[in-house]
Amino acid sequence: MYFLKKRCVAMLLAGGQGSRLKVLTENTAKPAVPFGGKYRIIDFPLSNCVNSHIDTVGVLTQYQPLELNEYIGNGQPWDLNSSHGGVTVLPPYARSKKSDWYKGTANAIYQNIPFIARYQPDDVLILSGDHIYEMDYARMLRFHKQMDADCTIAVRPVPMEEASRFGIMNTKEDGSIFEFEEKPKKPKSNKASMGIYIFKWDILRRFLEEDEEDPKSDNDFGKNIIPNLLNAGHKLYAYEFNGYWKDVGTINSLWEANMDLLGDEPEFNIYGTGGKKIYARNYAMPSAFIAKGSEICDSFVAEGCEVYGAVKHSVISSGCIIGKGAEVKDSVIMPGVVIEPGATVDHAIIAEGCVIKAGAKVGADQQAESLEALKISVIGKDVTVPEGAVIEPGEII
Amino acid sequence: METMGIIFSNIYDSMMGKLTNIRTSASIPVGGRYRQIDFILSNMANSGVRHIGIITKYNYQSLMDHLGSCQEWDLQLNTNGVVFLPPYATGHTGIYRGKLEALQTAMPVLEGGEQEYVILADSNVMCALDFRKVVEQHVKSGCDVTVVAKGGLCDGKTVQHFALRTDESGRTVDMAVEYAAPVGDLVGMGMFVISRKLLIAAIKETVPHGKYHLERDLIMEGYNKGALTVNVYPFEGAALFNQSVKAYYDNNMAMLDSETRKSLFRGEVPIYTKVRDEVPTRYGKGAEVANCIVADGCRLSGKLSSSVIFREVKVEEGAEVADSIVMQGCTIEKGASIRYAILDKNVTVSAGTKLLGSPEEPLVIGKGAAV
Repeated sequence: MYFLKKRCVAMLLAGGQGSRLKVLTENTAKPAVPFGGKYRIIDFPLSNCVNSHIDTVGVLTQYQPLELNEYIGNGQPWDLNSSHGGVTVLPPYARSKKSDWYKGTANAIYQNIPFIARYQPDDVLILSGDHIYEMDYARMLRFHKQMDADCTIAVRPVPMEEASRFGIMNTKEDGSIFEFEEKPKKPKSNKASMGIYIFKWDILRRFLEEDEEDPKSDNDFGKNIIPNLLNAGHKLYAYEFNGYWKDVGTINSLWEANMDLLGDEPEFNIYGTGGKKIYARNYAMPSAFIAKGSEICDSFVAEGCEVYGAVKHSVISSGCIIGKGAEVKDSVIMPGVVIEPGATVDHAIIAEGCVIKAGAKVGADQQAESLEALKISVIGKDVTVPEGAVIEPGEII
Repeated sequence: METMGIIFSNIYDSMMGKLTNIRTSASIPVGGRYRQIDFILSNMANSGVRHIGIITKYNYQSLMDHLGSCQEWDLQLNTNGVVFLPPYATGHTGIYRGKLEALQTAMPVLEGGEQEYVILADSNVMCALDFRKVVEQHVKSGCDVTVVAKGGLCDGKTVQHFALRTDESGRTVDMAVEYAAPVGDLVGMGMFVISRKLLIAAIKETVPHGKYHLERDLIMEGYNKGALTVNVYPFEGAALFNQSVKAYYDNNMAMLDSETRKSLFRGEVPIYTKVRDEVPTRYGKGAEVANCIVADGCRLSGKLSSSVIFREVKVEEGAEVADSIVMQGCTIEKGASIRYAILDKNVTVSAGTKLLGSPEEPLVIGKGAAV
C-alpha cells in the first residue's frame, strides 16, 4: 500500500484509567466520560485536531476501550473517516516476539512507531484525552517550525503559589527551555506543562528507541523523554497558551469544568471561536420538551430531554427526564437519566442511565472556601437511587 | 427486505404557501429539528428498504443539502442506497402533472431493480411506521395494491385527497378522490405497496393515454373496472398530514402533546435527521419556558409558551414568543413579541416589534426577512 506523506500526525493518549474519577470510570475510559450535555472528553482534542487541519490521528486505547472504540467508530463525526489518514484506534496488541500492555506514555508511542512511520511525518503531536480546552495546534506547529525546535511543549501560566503542583518549564527569554522540573518545591517559573508536545519525528523516534533500551526507565514523556532530550542538548521550546484549559481528572474538576460553561460570561465558551465547533457523535433524539410549570434558569439542556421540574445552574445531557416538582441545582446530569417527581439533586454528578426515584435527595446546597472542599455527590452509571433515599454530600455510589 | 422505495418530494408544494418558495415540501422544517422527508425516509430505512428513489421537480437544492450522503439513515451504501430523480434525468420525461406521470422519471430505477415490491410514498405525512408489517400484510392479502390509511379523520365535511371505505372484515368496498368522506371512512396516507412488475406495466399502459393521477387514474379506475384488487392497511399510530399551511401549524402544535410525541418519536421505528453540531440549548437567567419543543443550539432568555423552537434560535430578554413556530437561526430581539406566527429560517424580529397572526391564519414570515 502506498502512503502519502503527512506533515504532522497526532497521537492521542486515551488509555488512562482515570481512577480519581472513581465510579465514573469504573467501566469506561476517561476520554469517553460525558461532558457538557452532549460531548465526551475526547471530543475536545479530536475537534481541535480537525479544526487545526490535522487529518491523521492515532488514538491509543488500553483501559476499558469498548465504549470509546464504539464512540470513535469510523471517525465520521469529526470528518476523520478518510481513506488515507483519518482516525485509527491503536490498542496494544500481541507480537511474535514480545507482547506488552502500554507501560507508559512513551512506551505507548514506541509500540506504534510503525503506524507513524508509514506517514513519514515531519512532526508528531502528542496529546492526551483528559483535558477540556479549545486550541489551534496549527499555531503551535508554526511556532515549532519558526524556532526550528526539536521539541515544543505547550505551557500555560499558573499562579506562582500553585506552581509546585505542576511540571514546570524554566525558560530563557526567547522561550527556549533550559530546565524541566516535576513538581518543584521552589518553582523558578509558573509555566506549567499541558502535556501537549510536538516533536520532530526523527528525533522522537530515536529517543523512544533509546528509552526502550533503558530497563530503569518509566517510559514516560515527562519523566524520561523530555529530560533526556534536554540533557542531550536538543532545542526545546515552550509555547505559551493563554486560553481556557482544564484537567478533568478529578470529580471536583470535572464538575467545575461543566459549571464553567454556565453564566452570562462563561469561563469556557463551548460555542467555539471563529466558526470552529466542537464536534461530537450525535444520536437520533427528538427536540427537547419543556413543560408548563417547569423552571429552567442559567442552564444547558440538550435534545431528547423532557423537563417538568426545576433546573438551576446545571448541565442536563441528552435524553433526560426531570419530573414534576423535582429540582436539579448546581449539578451535572449525564445522558439518559430519569429524575422522578419530587426528587432533589444538588451539587452532584449523575452518570448515564441512572434513575433517581421519587422524593430521593442527592447531595445538598453548600458553600465552600475552595473547589477541593466542595462535597460533590456522584451516582455511578445505571444506578437506581430508591424512593425517598438520601445520598449525602460527597457520597459516591 | 425485498422492497424498493419511491418518494415524491414536490407533489404538495403548491399548497404550502411561502414555505415552499425556496424548498420542496419534503424539506419543510417540522418539529424543531426535522424536515418532512425525515419521517418517510426513516420509516423506509428502518424497515430495511435499501434502495430508494426520490422524485424531485424543482427547488430541490435544500433537499439534497439536507440528505447529503444519507449516512444518518445508514443509506450511504455501495450498492443501491438513495438516488435523486429530477426531471429530464433519464430522457423519459420532463415536468409532470401527477405522481403517475412522475413515475416515468423513475422507470430506469424501477426496471433496474430486483425487488419484488415497491413502496410509493408522499413525503408530507409525519408518522413512525414499520413498512415490514405493511408488506407482510400486503403479501398475505393477495391484493394488487395496498393503501396505508388512517381511520378516525373523516367528518363528512373536510375534503379528503383519497378516501377509502372498508367493511367489517377490512375488505375495501369503495374509494373516492377529493371527497368529503363520511365518518368511518379512512384517509389514504399517500403510501402504497405494489408489485414492481405490475407497477411498470401499469405505467406503460396508463401514462401514454394521458393519465397522470396515481390514486384516481390507476388505483380507483383499476378498482372500479375490476382490474385491480385493493387492500387497506389501517395505521394505528399518530399520523399528521401537512397538506396546507394551517395543517402544518396545527400539526407542529400537536407535537406539544406527549401522546403524539410518543407515537412519532418512540413509535414503530426511530426517526433520523441530518446531524448538525450544535451546543445544547442555553437557558438564561430570565428565561421562562412553558409547553415548548426546543431544539439544540438556542439561546433563550425571554418568555416562551406553546411554541416549536428550531435550532440556533435566539430569544432575547423581555421578548415574548407564544403559539408560534420559529425556524432555525431566527432572532427575537429585546421587547419584541410574536403570537400565532410562523417564522421561516433566519428571520429577525427587531426590538419592540409585535407580530400577531391568528390560529386560523398564522402569520408567515418568509426566509431571511427582517421585520
